[in-house]
Amino acid sequence: MNLDALDLSILGPAMLAGLLVLATHVPMGREVLVRGIIFIDLAVAQISGLGVIAADRMHLELAGYGVEIAAGVAAISGALVLSWLERRFPEVQEAFIGVVFVLAATGGILLLADNPHGGEELKDLLVGQILWVDFSSLGPVALLYAGVLAVWFGARERLGRHGFYLLFAVTVTASVQLVGVYLVFASLIVPGLATRGMPARSGLAWAYAVGAAGYALGLLASALLDLPTGAMIVWALAAVASVLVLRGPR
Amino acid sequence: MRALDLRLVASALAGATIFWPASPAGATLRVFSCESEWAALAAALGGDQVEAYSATSARQDVHYIQARPSLIAKLRRADLLICSGADLEIGWLPVLLRKASNAKVQPGQPGHVDVSKIVPMLDVPSRVDRSEGDIHPYGNPHTQTDPHNIALVATELSHRLERIDPKQAGFYRQRSSEFADRWQKAIASWEARAAPLRGMKIITHHVAWVYMAHWLGLEVVGHLEDKPGIPPTAGHLADLLAGLRDQKVELIVRSTYQPERPSEWLSGRSGIPAVVLPHTVGATEGAKDLYSMFDDMLERLLEARRP
Repeated sequence: MNLDALDLSILGPAMLAGLLVLATHVPMGREVLVRGIIFIDLAVAQISGLGVIAADRMHLELAGYGVEIAAGVAAISGALVLSWLERRFPEVQEAFIGVVFVLAATGGILLLADNPHGGEELKDLLVGQILWVDFSSLGPVALLYAGVLAVWFGARERLGRHGFYLLFAVTVTASVQLVGVYLVFASLIVPGLATRGMPARSGLAWAYAVGAAGYALGLLASALLDLPTGAMIVWALAAVASVLVLRGPR
Repeated sequence: MRALDLRLVASALAGATIFWPASPAGATLRVFSCESEWAALAAALGGDQVEAYSATSARQDVHYIQARPSLIAKLRRADLLICSGADLEIGWLPVLLRKASNAKVQPGQPGHVDVSKIVPMLDVPSRVDRSEGDIHPYGNPHTQTDPHNIALVATELSHRLERIDPKQAGFYRQRSSEFADRWQKAIASWEARAAPLRGMKIITHHVAWVYMAHWLGLEVVGHLEDKPGIPPTAGHLADLLAGLRDQKVELIVRSTYQPERPSEWLSGRSGIPAVVLPHTVGATEGAKDLYSMFDDMLERLLEARRP
Protein backbone atom coordinates (compact mmCIF):
# COMPACT_ATOMS: atom_id res chain seq x y z
CA MET A 1 0.00 0.00 0.00
CA ASN A 2 1.17 3.44 -0.81
CA LEU A 3 -0.92 6.26 0.56
CA ASP A 4 1.56 9.02 -0.36
CA ALA A 5 0.51 8.83 -3.96
CA LEU A 6 -3.16 9.48 -3.15
CA ASP A 7 -2.73 13.13 -3.98
CA LEU A 8 -5.24 15.10 -6.00
CA SER A 9 -2.52 17.19 -7.62
CA ILE A 10 -0.97 13.96 -8.96
CA LEU A 11 -4.13 12.09 -9.92
CA GLY A 12 -6.31 15.11 -10.79
CA PRO A 13 -4.84 16.03 -14.20
CA ALA A 14 -4.87 12.37 -15.24
CA MET A 15 -8.53 11.99 -14.23
CA LEU A 16 -9.43 15.15 -16.14
CA ALA A 17 -7.58 13.86 -19.22
CA GLY A 18 -9.53 10.62 -18.89
CA LEU A 19 -12.88 12.45 -18.69
CA LEU A 20 -11.96 14.51 -21.77
CA VAL A 21 -11.09 11.38 -23.74
CA LEU A 22 -14.28 9.65 -22.58
CA ALA A 23 -16.43 12.64 -23.60
CA THR A 24 -15.70 12.03 -27.28
CA HIS A 25 -14.77 8.36 -27.36
CA VAL A 26 -17.83 6.92 -25.64
CA PRO A 27 -20.35 8.12 -28.25
CA MET A 28 -17.94 7.38 -31.11
CA GLY A 29 -17.23 3.93 -29.70
CA ARG A 30 -20.91 3.02 -29.80
CA GLU A 31 -20.94 4.05 -33.49
CA VAL A 32 -17.73 2.10 -34.20
CA LEU A 33 -19.30 -1.01 -32.67
CA VAL A 34 -22.42 -0.62 -34.81
CA ARG A 35 -20.29 -0.28 -37.94
CA GLY A 36 -18.12 -3.22 -36.95
CA ILE A 37 -14.82 -1.39 -37.43
CA ILE A 38 -13.33 -2.11 -34.02
CA PHE A 39 -9.66 -1.77 -34.88
CA ILE A 40 -9.96 1.47 -36.80
CA ASP A 41 -8.54 3.50 -33.93
CA LEU A 42 -5.38 1.38 -33.86
CA ALA A 43 -4.98 1.90 -37.60
CA VAL A 44 -5.56 5.66 -37.36
CA ALA A 45 -3.14 5.97 -34.41
CA GLN A 46 -0.48 4.04 -36.26
CA ILE A 47 -0.93 6.17 -39.40
CA SER A 48 -0.58 9.38 -37.39
CA GLY A 49 2.64 7.96 -35.93
CA LEU A 50 3.85 7.22 -39.43
CA GLY A 51 3.09 10.83 -40.36
CA VAL A 52 5.37 12.11 -37.59
CA ILE A 53 8.19 9.83 -38.70
CA ALA A 54 7.78 10.80 -42.35
CA ALA A 55 7.86 14.51 -41.50
CA ASP A 56 10.98 13.89 -39.46
CA ARG A 57 12.63 12.05 -42.36
CA MET A 58 11.85 14.94 -44.66
CA HIS A 59 13.68 17.11 -42.13
CA LEU A 60 10.67 19.26 -41.43
CA GLU A 61 11.24 21.11 -38.19
CA LEU A 62 8.76 19.67 -35.73
CA ALA A 63 8.77 22.51 -33.25
CA GLY A 64 5.72 23.66 -31.30
CA TYR A 65 2.62 22.09 -32.75
CA GLY A 66 4.53 20.62 -35.74
CA VAL A 67 4.28 17.10 -34.38
CA GLU A 68 0.54 17.42 -33.85
CA ILE A 69 0.04 18.87 -37.32
CA ALA A 70 2.05 16.12 -39.02
CA ALA A 71 0.17 13.48 -37.04
CA GLY A 72 -3.19 15.10 -37.81
CA VAL A 73 -2.55 15.45 -41.56
CA ALA A 74 -1.46 11.82 -41.77
CA ALA A 75 -4.44 10.61 -39.74
CA ILE A 76 -6.88 12.57 -41.91
CA SER A 77 -5.34 11.19 -45.12
CA GLY A 78 -5.53 7.71 -43.63
CA ALA A 79 -9.15 8.26 -42.64
CA LEU A 80 -10.04 9.28 -46.20
CA VAL A 81 -8.41 6.09 -47.52
CA LEU A 82 -10.31 3.99 -44.94
CA SER A 83 -13.56 5.73 -45.83
CA TRP A 84 -12.98 5.04 -49.52
CA LEU A 85 -12.21 1.39 -48.72
CA GLU A 86 -15.48 1.10 -46.81
CA ARG A 87 -17.41 2.28 -49.86
CA ARG A 88 -15.42 0.20 -52.33
CA PHE A 89 -15.07 -3.08 -50.37
CA PRO A 90 -17.73 -3.03 -47.61
CA GLU A 91 -17.65 -6.82 -47.14
CA VAL A 92 -13.94 -7.01 -46.27
CA GLN A 93 -13.52 -3.67 -44.55
CA GLU A 94 -12.22 -5.04 -41.25
CA ALA A 95 -9.56 -6.98 -43.15
CA PHE A 96 -8.45 -3.81 -44.94
CA ILE A 97 -8.25 -1.96 -41.62
CA GLY A 98 -5.94 -4.72 -40.38
CA VAL A 99 -3.76 -4.48 -43.49
CA VAL A 100 -3.56 -0.68 -43.19
CA PHE A 101 -2.55 -1.10 -39.53
CA VAL A 102 0.35 -3.46 -40.23
CA LEU A 103 1.49 -1.39 -43.21
CA ALA A 104 1.60 1.77 -41.11
CA ALA A 105 3.34 0.01 -38.23
CA THR A 106 5.98 -1.68 -40.35
CA GLY A 107 6.35 1.40 -42.56
CA GLY A 108 7.50 3.19 -39.41
CA ILE A 109 10.10 0.49 -38.74
CA LEU A 110 11.43 0.75 -42.29
CA LEU A 111 11.62 4.54 -42.18
CA LEU A 112 13.34 4.40 -38.80
CA ALA A 113 15.86 1.71 -39.71
CA ASP A 114 18.65 4.12 -38.82
CA ASN A 115 16.99 6.67 -36.56
CA PRO A 116 16.34 5.63 -32.97
CA HIS A 117 15.29 9.09 -31.82
CA GLY A 118 12.28 8.90 -34.09
CA GLY A 119 11.69 5.50 -32.53
CA GLU A 120 11.35 7.05 -29.10
CA GLU A 121 9.01 9.64 -30.57
CA LEU A 122 6.87 6.91 -32.11
CA LYS A 123 6.83 4.98 -28.87
CA ASP A 124 5.71 8.05 -26.94
CA LEU A 125 3.06 8.67 -29.53
CA LEU A 126 1.63 5.18 -29.17
CA VAL A 127 2.16 4.49 -25.50
CA GLY A 128 1.54 8.05 -24.26
CA GLN A 129 1.59 8.28 -20.48
CA ILE A 130 -1.56 9.63 -18.90
CA LEU A 131 0.21 10.44 -15.63
CA TRP A 132 2.56 12.95 -17.24
CA VAL A 133 -0.37 15.07 -18.45
CA ASP A 134 -0.62 18.54 -16.93
CA PHE A 135 -3.42 21.05 -16.95
CA SER A 136 -1.79 23.31 -19.54
CA SER A 137 -1.67 20.52 -22.13
CA LEU A 138 -5.37 19.79 -21.59
CA GLY A 139 -6.57 23.22 -22.73
CA PRO A 140 -6.10 22.82 -26.50
CA VAL A 141 -7.56 19.30 -26.41
CA ALA A 142 -10.59 20.52 -24.46
CA LEU A 143 -11.18 23.19 -27.12
CA LEU A 144 -10.80 20.67 -29.95
CA TYR A 145 -13.15 18.19 -28.27
CA ALA A 146 -15.76 20.87 -27.60
CA GLY A 147 -15.80 21.44 -31.35
CA VAL A 148 -15.93 17.72 -32.09
CA LEU A 149 -18.82 17.18 -29.67
CA ALA A 150 -20.73 20.16 -31.10
CA VAL A 151 -20.46 18.65 -34.59
CA TRP A 152 -21.22 15.14 -33.33
CA PHE A 153 -24.37 15.96 -31.41
CA GLY A 154 -25.40 18.96 -33.54
CA ALA A 155 -24.89 17.88 -37.13
CA ARG A 156 -24.75 14.11 -36.90
CA GLU A 157 -27.21 13.47 -39.76
CA ARG A 158 -25.36 15.71 -42.20
CA LEU A 159 -21.94 14.23 -41.39
CA GLY A 160 -22.03 11.33 -43.82
CA ARG A 161 -19.36 8.66 -44.03
CA HIS A 162 -16.42 10.94 -44.87
CA GLY A 163 -17.44 13.30 -42.11
CA PHE A 164 -17.46 10.50 -39.53
CA TYR A 165 -14.02 9.28 -40.53
CA LEU A 166 -12.53 12.79 -40.49
CA LEU A 167 -13.97 13.61 -37.10
CA PHE A 168 -12.79 10.26 -35.78
CA ALA A 169 -9.26 10.77 -37.12
CA VAL A 170 -8.90 14.19 -35.50
CA THR A 171 -10.30 12.92 -32.17
CA VAL A 172 -8.10 9.84 -31.97
CA THR A 173 -4.94 11.67 -33.00
CA ALA A 174 -5.34 14.04 -30.08
CA SER A 175 -6.27 11.38 -27.54
CA VAL A 176 -3.50 8.97 -28.46
CA GLN A 177 -0.90 11.62 -27.73
CA LEU A 178 -2.58 12.35 -24.42
CA VAL A 179 -3.20 8.91 -22.96
CA GLY A 180 -1.74 6.34 -25.38
CA VAL A 181 -3.19 3.81 -27.73
CA TYR A 182 -4.21 1.16 -25.17
CA LEU A 183 -6.35 3.59 -23.20
CA VAL A 184 -7.82 5.04 -26.38
CA PHE A 185 -8.87 1.60 -27.53
CA ALA A 186 -10.31 0.71 -24.13
CA SER A 187 -12.16 4.04 -23.74
CA LEU A 188 -13.65 3.62 -27.20
CA ILE A 189 -14.71 0.00 -27.09
CA VAL A 190 -15.25 -1.13 -23.48
CA PRO A 191 -18.06 1.26 -22.42
CA GLY A 192 -19.82 0.73 -25.75
CA LEU A 193 -19.52 -3.02 -25.42
CA ALA A 194 -20.86 -2.99 -21.87
CA THR A 195 -23.97 -1.03 -22.92
CA ARG A 196 -24.66 -2.81 -26.19
CA GLY A 197 -28.36 -3.30 -26.80
CA MET A 198 -29.43 -0.55 -24.39
CA PRO A 199 -31.64 2.25 -25.74
CA ALA A 200 -29.64 5.13 -27.24
CA ARG A 201 -30.08 7.68 -24.45
CA SER A 202 -29.80 5.58 -21.31
CA GLY A 203 -27.15 3.46 -23.03
CA LEU A 204 -24.99 6.53 -23.58
CA ALA A 205 -25.46 7.61 -19.96
CA TRP A 206 -24.48 4.17 -18.65
CA ALA A 207 -21.49 4.07 -21.00
CA TYR A 208 -20.24 7.41 -19.65
CA ALA A 209 -20.73 6.11 -16.10
CA VAL A 210 -18.73 2.94 -16.84
CA GLY A 211 -15.93 5.00 -18.35
CA ALA A 212 -15.72 7.51 -15.48
CA ALA A 213 -15.86 4.78 -12.81
CA GLY A 214 -13.20 2.78 -14.64
CA TYR A 215 -10.78 5.72 -14.82
CA ALA A 216 -11.37 6.67 -11.16
CA LEU A 217 -10.90 3.13 -9.87
CA GLY A 218 -7.89 2.53 -12.12
CA LEU A 219 -6.16 5.70 -10.93
CA LEU A 220 -6.79 4.84 -7.29
CA ALA A 221 -5.60 1.27 -7.72
CA SER A 222 -2.48 2.43 -9.55
CA ALA A 223 -1.66 4.85 -6.72
CA LEU A 224 -2.35 2.37 -3.93
CA LEU A 225 -0.68 -0.65 -5.52
CA ASP A 226 2.17 1.32 -7.14
CA LEU A 227 1.51 -0.08 -10.61
CA PRO A 228 1.75 1.58 -14.07
CA THR A 229 -1.25 3.85 -14.45
CA GLY A 230 -2.36 3.37 -18.06
CA ALA A 231 -2.43 -0.41 -17.87
CA MET A 232 -4.23 -0.35 -14.51
CA ILE A 233 -7.01 1.88 -15.90
CA VAL A 234 -7.54 -0.49 -18.83
CA TRP A 235 -8.13 -3.36 -16.38
CA ALA A 236 -10.37 -1.25 -14.15
CA LEU A 237 -12.50 -0.27 -17.17
CA ALA A 238 -12.90 -3.94 -18.06
CA ALA A 239 -13.78 -4.82 -14.45
CA VAL A 240 -16.45 -2.10 -14.16
CA ALA A 241 -17.88 -3.10 -17.55
CA SER A 242 -18.08 -6.75 -16.49
CA VAL A 243 -20.00 -5.81 -13.35
CA LEU A 244 -22.50 -3.84 -15.45
CA VAL A 245 -22.90 -6.67 -17.97
CA LEU A 246 -23.45 -9.29 -15.23
CA ARG A 247 -25.47 -7.27 -12.72
CA GLY A 248 -26.71 -4.15 -14.40
CA PRO A 249 -30.01 -3.14 -16.01
CA ARG A 250 -31.04 -5.18 -19.01
CA MET B 1 -24.96 4.75 14.87
CA ARG B 2 -22.74 7.65 15.73
CA ALA B 3 -20.51 5.52 17.92
CA LEU B 4 -20.30 2.93 15.18
CA ASP B 5 -19.19 5.59 12.70
CA LEU B 6 -16.51 6.82 15.05
CA ARG B 7 -15.29 3.29 15.62
CA LEU B 8 -15.14 2.77 11.86
CA VAL B 9 -13.14 5.93 11.38
CA ALA B 10 -10.84 5.01 14.22
CA SER B 11 -10.15 1.55 12.84
CA ALA B 12 -9.66 2.96 9.35
CA LEU B 13 -7.10 5.39 10.75
CA ALA B 14 -5.41 2.57 12.63
CA GLY B 15 -5.29 0.59 9.39
CA ALA B 16 -3.85 3.56 7.55
CA THR B 17 -1.03 3.96 10.06
CA ILE B 18 -0.05 0.33 9.52
CA PHE B 19 0.32 0.94 5.81
CA TRP B 20 1.91 4.35 6.19
CA PRO B 21 5.50 3.95 5.03
CA ALA B 22 7.51 3.92 8.20
CA SER B 23 10.63 6.04 8.06
CA PRO B 24 13.74 4.56 9.62
CA ALA B 25 14.47 5.98 13.05
CA GLY B 26 16.19 9.35 12.81
CA ALA B 27 16.05 9.51 9.01
CA THR B 28 16.11 13.12 7.96
CA LEU B 29 17.01 13.16 4.27
CA ARG B 30 15.04 11.57 1.46
CA VAL B 31 17.17 10.69 -1.56
CA PHE B 32 15.52 9.97 -4.90
CA SER B 33 17.89 8.21 -7.27
CA CYS B 34 17.21 7.31 -10.89
CA GLU B 35 19.32 4.14 -10.76
CA SER B 36 19.96 1.50 -8.11
CA GLU B 37 23.73 2.10 -7.93
CA TRP B 38 23.29 5.70 -6.78
CA ALA B 39 20.68 4.69 -4.20
CA ALA B 40 23.20 2.16 -2.88
CA LEU B 41 25.88 4.86 -2.76
CA ALA B 42 23.60 7.31 -0.93
CA ALA B 43 22.73 4.61 1.60
CA ALA B 44 26.41 3.76 2.06
CA LEU B 45 27.31 7.41 2.69
CA GLY B 46 24.25 8.53 4.61
CA GLY B 47 23.70 5.49 6.80
CA ASP B 48 20.56 5.84 8.90
CA GLN B 49 20.40 9.59 8.25
CA VAL B 50 19.25 8.90 4.69
CA GLU B 51 16.28 7.11 3.18
CA ALA B 52 17.29 6.16 -0.36
CA TYR B 53 14.79 5.24 -3.07
CA SER B 54 15.53 4.10 -6.61
CA ALA B 55 13.08 4.94 -9.40
CA THR B 56 14.23 2.04 -11.55
CA SER B 57 14.89 -1.52 -10.55
CA ALA B 58 18.12 -3.32 -11.35
CA ARG B 59 16.41 -5.46 -13.96
CA GLN B 60 14.90 -2.55 -15.86
CA ASP B 61 16.17 -0.68 -18.90
CA VAL B 62 16.58 2.81 -17.44
CA HIS B 63 16.11 4.44 -20.84
CA TYR B 64 12.40 3.64 -20.52
CA ILE B 65 10.10 3.68 -17.53
CA GLN B 66 6.35 3.38 -16.95
CA ALA B 67 4.71 6.25 -15.09
CA ARG B 68 3.41 5.40 -11.62
CA PRO B 69 1.80 7.90 -9.21
CA SER B 70 4.31 6.98 -6.51
CA LEU B 71 7.21 8.30 -8.64
CA ILE B 72 5.73 11.79 -8.56
CA ALA B 73 4.91 11.50 -4.85
CA LYS B 74 8.44 10.32 -3.99
CA LEU B 75 10.15 13.05 -5.99
CA ARG B 76 7.86 15.69 -4.52
CA ARG B 77 9.04 14.76 -1.01
CA ALA B 78 12.70 14.27 -1.91
CA ASP B 79 15.50 16.39 -0.45
CA LEU B 80 18.07 15.25 -3.00
CA LEU B 81 18.03 13.70 -6.45
CA ILE B 82 20.91 11.77 -7.97
CA CYS B 83 20.91 10.50 -11.56
CA SER B 84 23.41 9.35 -14.16
CA GLY B 85 22.48 12.25 -16.42
CA ALA B 86 23.92 12.80 -19.93
CA ASP B 87 20.40 12.27 -21.30
CA LEU B 88 20.15 8.68 -20.00
CA GLU B 89 16.84 9.54 -18.32
CA ILE B 90 15.79 12.08 -20.98
CA GLY B 91 12.64 10.11 -21.75
CA TRP B 92 11.11 10.53 -18.29
CA LEU B 93 13.12 12.61 -15.81
CA PRO B 94 12.39 16.10 -17.21
CA VAL B 95 8.65 15.48 -17.23
CA LEU B 96 8.83 13.88 -13.78
CA LEU B 97 10.73 16.93 -12.44
CA ARG B 98 8.10 19.20 -13.92
CA LYS B 99 5.22 17.17 -12.46
CA ALA B 100 6.80 16.96 -9.02
CA SER B 101 7.56 20.72 -8.98
CA ASN B 102 9.94 20.34 -6.06
CA ALA B 103 12.27 23.35 -6.02
CA LYS B 104 14.93 21.54 -3.96
CA VAL B 105 15.78 19.01 -6.66
CA GLN B 106 15.60 21.13 -9.82
CA PRO B 107 18.77 21.37 -11.96
CA GLY B 108 21.26 23.84 -10.54
CA GLN B 109 20.15 23.32 -6.93
CA PRO B 110 22.42 21.64 -4.34
CA GLY B 111 19.78 18.90 -4.16
CA HIS B 112 20.27 17.97 -7.82
CA VAL B 113 23.26 15.68 -8.41
CA ASP B 114 24.05 14.93 -12.06
CA VAL B 115 26.74 12.25 -12.20
CA SER B 116 27.73 13.11 -15.77
CA LYS B 117 28.88 16.54 -14.51
CA ILE B 118 31.17 14.95 -11.91
CA VAL B 119 33.04 12.17 -13.69
CA PRO B 120 35.21 12.41 -16.83
CA MET B 121 32.93 11.40 -19.69
CA LEU B 122 33.95 9.00 -22.46
CA ASP B 123 32.55 8.79 -25.99
CA VAL B 124 31.72 12.48 -26.16
CA PRO B 125 31.05 12.95 -29.87
CA SER B 126 32.87 15.74 -31.65
CA ARG B 127 29.82 16.11 -33.82
CA VAL B 128 26.27 14.96 -33.11
CA ASP B 129 24.71 13.27 -36.08
CA ARG B 130 21.29 11.79 -35.57
CA SER B 131 21.90 9.16 -38.24
CA GLU B 132 24.54 7.56 -36.05
CA GLY B 133 22.02 6.08 -33.64
CA ASP B 134 21.26 6.68 -30.01
CA ILE B 135 24.27 8.93 -29.51
CA HIS B 136 24.38 10.91 -26.31
CA PRO B 137 25.76 14.38 -27.07
CA TYR B 138 27.10 14.64 -23.51
CA GLY B 139 28.97 11.33 -23.75
CA ASN B 140 28.26 7.80 -22.69
CA PRO B 141 26.07 7.87 -19.54
CA HIS B 142 26.87 4.34 -18.25
CA THR B 143 29.62 5.67 -15.98
CA GLN B 144 29.06 3.44 -12.93
CA THR B 145 31.04 0.46 -14.22
CA ASP B 146 34.36 2.14 -13.31
CA PRO B 147 34.90 2.24 -9.50
CA HIS B 148 37.07 5.37 -9.81
CA ASN B 149 33.93 7.16 -10.98
CA ILE B 150 32.04 5.86 -7.94
CA ALA B 151 34.75 7.39 -5.75
CA LEU B 152 34.40 10.80 -7.43
CA VAL B 153 30.63 10.72 -7.10
CA ALA B 154 30.91 9.67 -3.44
CA THR B 155 32.99 12.75 -2.61
CA GLU B 156 30.61 15.13 -4.37
CA LEU B 157 27.49 13.43 -3.01
CA SER B 158 28.85 13.72 0.51
CA HIS B 159 29.51 17.47 0.00
CA ARG B 160 25.92 17.89 -1.12
CA LEU B 161 24.57 15.97 1.89
CA GLU B 162 26.64 18.26 4.15
CA ARG B 163 25.22 21.35 2.42
CA ILE B 164 21.62 20.22 2.61
CA ASP B 165 21.82 18.88 6.15
CA PRO B 166 24.51 21.04 7.84
CA LYS B 167 23.59 19.80 11.32
CA GLN B 168 24.86 16.34 10.39
CA ALA B 169 27.84 17.59 8.36
CA GLY B 170 30.36 15.98 10.71
CA PHE B 171 28.61 12.63 10.47
CA TYR B 172 28.61 12.71 6.64
CA ARG B 173 32.26 13.84 6.52
CA GLN B 174 33.34 10.97 8.70
CA ARG B 175 31.39 8.35 6.79
CA SER B 176 32.67 9.76 3.51
CA SER B 177 36.30 9.47 4.56
CA GLU B 178 35.72 5.94 5.89
CA PHE B 179 34.04 4.98 2.62
CA ALA B 180 36.86 6.53 0.57
CA ASP B 181 39.52 4.56 2.49
CA ARG B 182 37.71 1.28 2.16
CA TRP B 183 36.85 1.92 -1.49
CA GLN B 184 40.44 2.75 -2.48
CA LYS B 185 41.62 -0.49 -0.87
CA ALA B 186 38.91 -2.40 -2.73
CA ILE B 187 39.93 -0.79 -6.02
CA ALA B 188 43.53 -1.85 -5.44
CA SER B 189 42.49 -5.46 -4.84
CA TRP B 190 40.16 -5.49 -7.87
CA GLU B 191 42.88 -4.11 -10.09
CA ALA B 192 45.32 -6.76 -8.86
CA ARG B 193 42.80 -9.52 -9.58
CA ALA B 194 41.92 -8.12 -12.99
CA ALA B 195 45.50 -7.71 -14.16
CA PRO B 196 45.41 -10.86 -16.34
CA LEU B 197 42.38 -9.46 -18.18
CA ARG B 198 44.32 -6.49 -19.57
CA GLY B 199 44.25 -6.34 -23.35
CA MET B 200 41.37 -8.84 -23.65
CA LYS B 201 39.11 -8.18 -26.65
CA ILE B 202 35.39 -8.17 -26.03
CA ILE B 203 32.15 -7.55 -27.88
CA THR B 204 29.32 -5.91 -25.94
CA HIS B 205 25.59 -5.85 -26.59
CA HIS B 206 24.95 -2.16 -25.91
CA VAL B 207 27.59 0.57 -25.41
CA ALA B 208 27.07 0.10 -21.66
CA TRP B 209 30.54 -1.22 -20.80
CA VAL B 210 33.00 1.34 -22.13
CA TYR B 211 33.88 2.62 -18.65
CA MET B 212 34.62 -0.88 -17.35
CA ALA B 213 36.68 -1.61 -20.48
CA HIS B 214 38.57 1.66 -20.05
CA TRP B 215 39.23 0.87 -16.37
CA LEU B 216 40.45 -2.70 -16.89
CA GLY B 217 42.25 -2.06 -20.16
CA LEU B 218 39.89 -4.24 -22.19
CA GLU B 219 39.45 -3.59 -25.88
CA VAL B 220 35.85 -3.30 -27.13
CA VAL B 221 36.05 -4.40 -30.76
CA GLY B 222 32.34 -4.28 -31.55
CA HIS B 223 28.76 -3.98 -30.34
CA LEU B 224 25.85 -6.29 -31.07
CA GLU B 225 23.77 -3.17 -31.57
CA ASP B 226 25.25 -1.64 -34.72
CA LYS B 227 23.81 1.68 -33.68
CA PRO B 228 23.14 2.10 -29.95
CA GLY B 229 19.48 1.61 -29.08
CA ILE B 230 18.60 -0.15 -32.33
CA PRO B 231 18.14 -3.93 -32.07
CA PRO B 232 20.86 -5.92 -33.86
CA THR B 233 20.12 -6.64 -37.52
CA ALA B 234 20.88 -9.96 -39.20
CA GLY B 235 23.36 -8.33 -41.55
CA HIS B 236 25.28 -6.67 -38.74
CA LEU B 237 25.48 -9.94 -36.76
CA ALA B 238 26.81 -11.68 -39.88
CA ASP B 239 29.44 -8.93 -40.29
CA LEU B 240 30.46 -9.31 -36.66
CA LEU B 241 30.72 -13.06 -37.07
CA ALA B 242 32.91 -12.68 -40.16
CA GLY B 243 35.12 -10.18 -38.35
CA LEU B 244 35.56 -12.51 -35.38
CA ARG B 245 37.77 -14.87 -37.36
CA ASP B 246 40.52 -12.28 -37.78
CA GLN B 247 40.38 -10.90 -34.27
CA LYS B 248 40.89 -12.93 -31.13
CA VAL B 249 37.72 -11.88 -29.34
CA GLU B 250 37.40 -13.66 -26.01
CA LEU B 251 34.04 -12.61 -24.56
CA ILE B 252 30.58 -11.37 -25.50
CA VAL B 253 29.23 -9.12 -22.72
CA ARG B 254 25.68 -8.01 -21.98
CA SER B 255 23.69 -6.54 -19.06
CA THR B 256 20.92 -8.40 -17.27
CA TYR B 257 18.11 -6.35 -18.82
CA GLN B 258 19.19 -6.99 -22.38
CA PRO B 259 17.73 -9.83 -24.44
CA GLU B 260 19.91 -12.93 -24.50
CA ARG B 261 19.18 -14.08 -28.03
CA PRO B 262 21.65 -11.90 -30.01
CA SER B 263 24.63 -12.71 -27.79
CA GLU B 264 23.67 -16.41 -27.55
CA TRP B 265 23.31 -16.49 -31.35
CA LEU B 266 26.78 -15.07 -31.84
CA SER B 267 28.24 -17.23 -29.08
CA GLY B 268 26.70 -20.40 -30.54
CA ARG B 269 28.15 -19.72 -33.98
CA SER B 270 31.55 -18.46 -32.92
CA GLY B 271 32.21 -20.60 -29.86
CA ILE B 272 33.10 -17.44 -27.90
CA PRO B 273 31.52 -17.50 -24.41
CA ALA B 274 28.75 -15.00 -23.65
CA VAL B 275 28.64 -13.51 -20.16
CA VAL B 276 26.06 -11.47 -18.25
CA LEU B 277 27.59 -8.82 -15.98
CA PRO B 278 25.92 -6.81 -13.20
CA HIS B 279 25.65 -3.20 -14.39
CA THR B 280 24.15 -2.07 -11.09
CA VAL B 281 23.47 -3.17 -7.53
CA GLY B 282 20.89 -5.96 -7.56
CA ALA B 283 21.32 -6.87 -11.21
CA THR B 284 22.73 -10.27 -10.28
CA GLU B 285 22.25 -12.28 -7.12
CA GLY B 286 25.87 -11.64 -6.13
CA ALA B 287 25.68 -7.85 -6.55
CA LYS B 288 24.20 -7.00 -3.13
CA ASP B 289 26.02 -3.70 -2.68
CA LEU B 290 28.58 -1.64 -4.58
CA TYR B 291 31.50 -3.78 -3.31
CA SER B 292 29.95 -7.11 -4.22
CA MET B 293 28.82 -5.68 -7.57
CA PHE B 294 32.44 -5.21 -8.66
CA ASP B 295 33.46 -8.51 -6.97
CA ASP B 296 30.79 -10.30 -9.00
CA MET B 297 31.67 -8.44 -12.21
CA LEU B 298 35.33 -9.51 -11.97
CA GLU B 299 34.44 -13.04 -10.84
CA ARG B 300 32.23 -13.48 -13.91
CA LEU B 301 34.85 -12.02 -16.28
CA LEU B 302 37.59 -14.27 -14.90
CA GLU B 303 35.29 -17.31 -14.78
CA ALA B 304 34.13 -16.94 -18.40
CA ARG B 305 37.70 -16.73 -19.54
CA ARG B 306 38.87 -19.90 -17.76
CA PRO B 307 39.26 -22.80 -20.19
